[in-house]
Amino acid sequence: MKRNGIGALVIVPLLSIIISFLIGCMIIAALGANPADAMRYLLKGSFGNMRNIGTTLSRATPLIFTTLCACFAYRCGVFNLGGEGQFIIGAIVACYIATKAPFTGFPAIVLCALAGAAGGGLWAAIAGVLKVWRGQNEMIITIMLNYVATLLMGVVYTNWLRDGSVPQTVAVPDETQLASFFGLRATVAFPVAVIAGIVLFYFLFYTSSGFQLRAVGLNMTAAKVNGFNVKRYLLMSFIVSGAIAGLGGALELLGTQLRLINGFAAGYGFDGVAMALIASLHPLAGIIVAIFFAALRVGSTTMQTATGVPTSVSDIIQALVIVFTVAGMAMVKLPEFKNWFARRARKEV
Amino acid sequence: MAVGSPQTEVLRMEHITKKFGSVYANRDINFDVRAGEVHTLLGENGAGKSTLMNVLFGLYQPTEGDIYVRGQKVKIESPSQAVKLGIGMVHQHFMLVEAMTVFENIILGDTRSKGIFIDRNARKEEILELSRKYGLDADLDHPITELAVGAQQRVEILKALYRGCDVLVLDEPTAALTDQEAEGLFEIMNKLKQEGKSVIFISHKMREVLRVSDRITILRAGQTVETVNIGEVSGEELANRMIGRELKPSQYVKSDSSGEIVAALDHVSYHKSSKHNGLNDVSLKVHRGEIVGIAGVDGNGQSQLAMLLTGNIAPEEGAMDLKNSKVTRFDPNGFIQENVSHIPEDRNKAGLVGNMSVADNLVLKSTRDKRFSDGNGMHLKKKAIRSYALEMQEKYDIRCSSVEQESRNLSGGNQQKVILARELEASPDLLVAVHPTRGLDIGATRFIHDTVIMQRDMGCGVLLISADFDEILEVSDRILVMFEGQIMGEYSGKNPPIDEISLAMAGK
Amino acid sequence: MGSFIANLLLATVRMASPLIFLSLAELYSQRAGLVNIGIEGLAAIGSLTGFLISLITGNPLLGVLAGALAGILVNMIFAYATITLCAEQIVYGMAINIFAPALAAFTYRVYFGSGSELVQVELMGTMKSMFGIKSDNFFVNLFLDQTPMVYLAYILVIVTAIYFTRTKSGLNYKAVGEYPKAAATLGINVIGIKYLSCIICGALAGIGGAYLTTCYSKTYVDGNVAGRGFIALAAVIFGRWSSGGVLIACLFFGFCDALQIRLQLVNNTLPYQFFQMIPYVATVVVLAIIGAKKAGPRASGQPYRKEER
Repeated sequence: MKRNGIGALVIVPLLSIIISFLIGCMIIAALGANPADAMRYLLKGSFGNMRNIGTTLSRATPLIFTTLCACFAYRCGVFNLGGEGQFIIGAIVACYIATKAPFTGFPAIVLCALAGAAGGGLWAAIAGVLKVWRGQNEMIITIMLNYVATLLMGVVYTNWLRDGSVPQTVAVPDETQLASFFGLRATVAFPVAVIAGIVLFYFLFYTSSGFQLRAVGLNMTAAKVNGFNVKRYLLMSFIVSGAIAGLGGALELLGTQLRLINGFAAGYGFDGVAMALIASLHPLAGIIVAIFFAALRVGSTTMQTATGVPTSVSDIIQALVIVFTVAGMAMVKLPEFKNWFARRARKEV
Repeated sequence: MAVGSPQTEVLRMEHITKKFGSVYANRDINFDVRAGEVHTLLGENGAGKSTLMNVLFGLYQPTEGDIYVRGQKVKIESPSQAVKLGIGMVHQHFMLVEAMTVFENIILGDTRSKGIFIDRNARKEEILELSRKYGLDADLDHPITELAVGAQQRVEILKALYRGCDVLVLDEPTAALTDQEAEGLFEIMNKLKQEGKSVIFISHKMREVLRVSDRITILRAGQTVETVNIGEVSGEELANRMIGRELKPSQYVKSDSSGEIVAALDHVSYHKSSKHNGLNDVSLKVHRGEIVGIAGVDGNGQSQLAMLLTGNIAPEEGAMDLKNSKVTRFDPNGFIQENVSHIPEDRNKAGLVGNMSVADNLVLKSTRDKRFSDGNGMHLKKKAIRSYALEMQEKYDIRCSSVEQESRNLSGGNQQKVILARELEASPDLLVAVHPTRGLDIGATRFIHDTVIMQRDMGCGVLLISADFDEILEVSDRILVMFEGQIMGEYSGKNPPIDEISLAMAGK
Repeated sequence: MGSFIANLLLATVRMASPLIFLSLAELYSQRAGLVNIGIEGLAAIGSLTGFLISLITGNPLLGVLAGALAGILVNMIFAYATITLCAEQIVYGMAINIFAPALAAFTYRVYFGSGSELVQVELMGTMKSMFGIKSDNFFVNLFLDQTPMVYLAYILVIVTAIYFTRTKSGLNYKAVGEYPKAAATLGINVIGIKYLSCIICGALAGIGGAYLTTCYSKTYVDGNVAGRGFIALAAVIFGRWSSGGVLIACLFFGFCDALQIRLQLVNNTLPYQFFQMIPYVATVVVLAIIGAKKAGPRASGQPYRKEER
């Protein structure tokens, strides 16, 4: 029974990916390009050499953070759609510290990371408090706060930390930038993201608090009746998921972007949601899914240069994967499907 | 409207079989209804009464068998088709839209009049005429939420009559009614009969069955036992045929412990003015080694009593003691620490986390325990949890494909055993059990009763809340009756005065 | 100052219109028990389609019509997944929010290439310009300096109110969102009404999106819906699931939007982004104030299955 369930969790996304790629190929063919060529350049661009692998991992890093943010919140039944806003707040906080603090280098990096996480956590806590004490719909609140965070970032790069005439902030000083990861384009933010995923995995599945948090997410009433402090877990899930995103924002700024600018982090929040859902809210699977989609994006640039197929094809493929995966997950749960499957299995035996 | 002579057959179901998967809910059932009669379907929980009626009403398709309406063979594929054939049904759980008014509920889905808009005046006139004819008084502009259960039931009957039903199915109509309300219903049934309508009455309460029926069909384990005319068989005989064995007095030895008090309520009130969801000046004590049964019709404050005794709600007035110390903070976790165990009313909603495994549910409350984790919950010992679960599976006879199976896929009885195992393994001082055997088969019920009695004998104080009067009589050492949030009386569990208790349950 | 207020009011009426379409879309969906948080995405595809078709045909009304069609088409994915496959509505709405804007962005790229030049389209004329009225009276402006779409929005509010309170069909429709099982026993086609709700919802959301490119802005840019689809969700809660309440909520949010634009124009000391925050902050504040009195259709968000045991 259980094995069967896990099988579906892997097979459904894999099938969805295959179908989505097939549709992607059809679109590419319809645009007059050779799908095989396009796919070859896609792969080459993302994993073809060390440089490209580094770019892929670098692009994956922020996505891993927002994916983990979504995974954690949804495990507790909290639909935090504010990963993007929390990510941005983390970056804003880090940007201030990195450019204004009297010290640079490692201490500044650590402070940026911690303060970024705290900023993201506090930003998410606004929605958490409104949810827990006012019973408000966290989805709408977190999305609204995304817009507010994006606009606030706009104030920062057009006014408060503006770098001369260009609407962007001054850059993070060299000493406070993150070191490269094994000489790749990716920075040490990548291993930090992976470690964060492992820690989350351990917490959710190997600690009592993680167990209780999942129970709250699956059945709030039963959790309450069985003596769990539901409000505390709900608030915690907001704050921790926000902190993960905030940490991601801080590290993205210090490692890759180096300054705040229009379009920073755009779409990362919803991407994280999509990837978390494809990964069935499993933190480790989430890391893999995030790398996969980052590869798709990085590779699509090469594909565009070589074949003229626009990069947004990769967005379509990603969107199709989520559309098919979620529908597929629902389908395998339908009693009709289960019966059909059981009948087939019986016939074969 | 065809009003036949009393002997005209209006409906016949022949050889009806309905399977769910490999389980027979109905097997080769024969059943017929004549014009102007009350025909009772008598049977225990799970005997197949509701399934048969759902087949008749087009909610289920029979696996085999035929249905004839006024001699014509018909295939009923949907409720609306049943309604067109003149069959109306009042479900046990009312099919009323609470956000709408009585009037809106009655005309919902109406296809008889043309036009886009609701023709309020004409429709109201029609409904009022019906309500006068059958003595079904109803305030049409009232929202459903403000109506008492009896009044809601009248709306359901009006709804069926408005659709021109000749055969009215009443599924356990008295389950949630007071005696007075039930009397009112019986009068209405009489009026229906006089007007040539037929009533299919579903019940397992012998007294009222004998009182209202013209004929009785007994179902047992999904099959027809027989159809008898009223007066042919005595009540005891009927009961024996219904359960297939002699109805015996309680098989358990009743204790009269007056050990230490484990829980006491002192003039406790909660939402006092709410008759159905509140407590009004309740005082009671539970001693070690006794089972206190709370008898009463559902929805007279029992849920609130259970919530209070498990720390889920706090009283507005009065005080509560647990083991001789006053409770100052009402929260479920504090009560659990005080060794209070709880078998909640709704096992799926409040008892189990359905998407977690049987093993996880067994250790739900105790993951911080040294047996199941190191460092106060910092590392779960998965192996220890699994072997503990296997042990419990054996001890409590939990039937599942593996302890890793999701608990929502278990049968009701096995789900309840998981909860029982979790709650009793904590060796509670007080056990609050709410409808612990609702919807379970005889075997599982028996197992749960045995286990609870064993716990009592080990010194646990048990508060048993049940709407099943037989269950209360079977296991309680002391019986308290609740009505509209109040305790109506206290009776010994040994040779309890059944008539007196029944009256108390009706508020007299 | 007088002209400031007059302009504010005129802008409020205009800014509320797209929100009204989107909120009514959500209202029709939720009344049938489907919580669709994908309105934002549906509006995005409607917006792009409206833009393209009015550019190609030169007729903004055709653009609106095409926007409605595109909204319906995309929402049919949501309908199939949530009604037939019983997928979780919130999750699937999110999938739509990712899918539909991606599709819109892709289509735009493919059609116009990756050139950076913004293509402009002719906006729908107001009644005033159509009839060649020259007067600049406030009331003339309020009632006549509006596109036909604005009238449509307010007419739809009235039609919706009448539909849900006065018609038999509206009563049946509401029953599906409140208690589908009861509705089914009364012969109401629950699945049919749910699909119908998705058609209406998709059309209205598509129109709301197309409004932005046919009546409001001459250009299409990714993300031009700017959270209106989510504000519409708030408007439905704020409006307590009634058509009139939704109108008031939309006027309020429209006012916030109008206010921020006006304030940007008169103030140049504060960074403009602070004014742009007003509608979003207002949404959060309003939700925080009204709290969570449990209201709305009872069966919202729950899947409906036929033969269940």
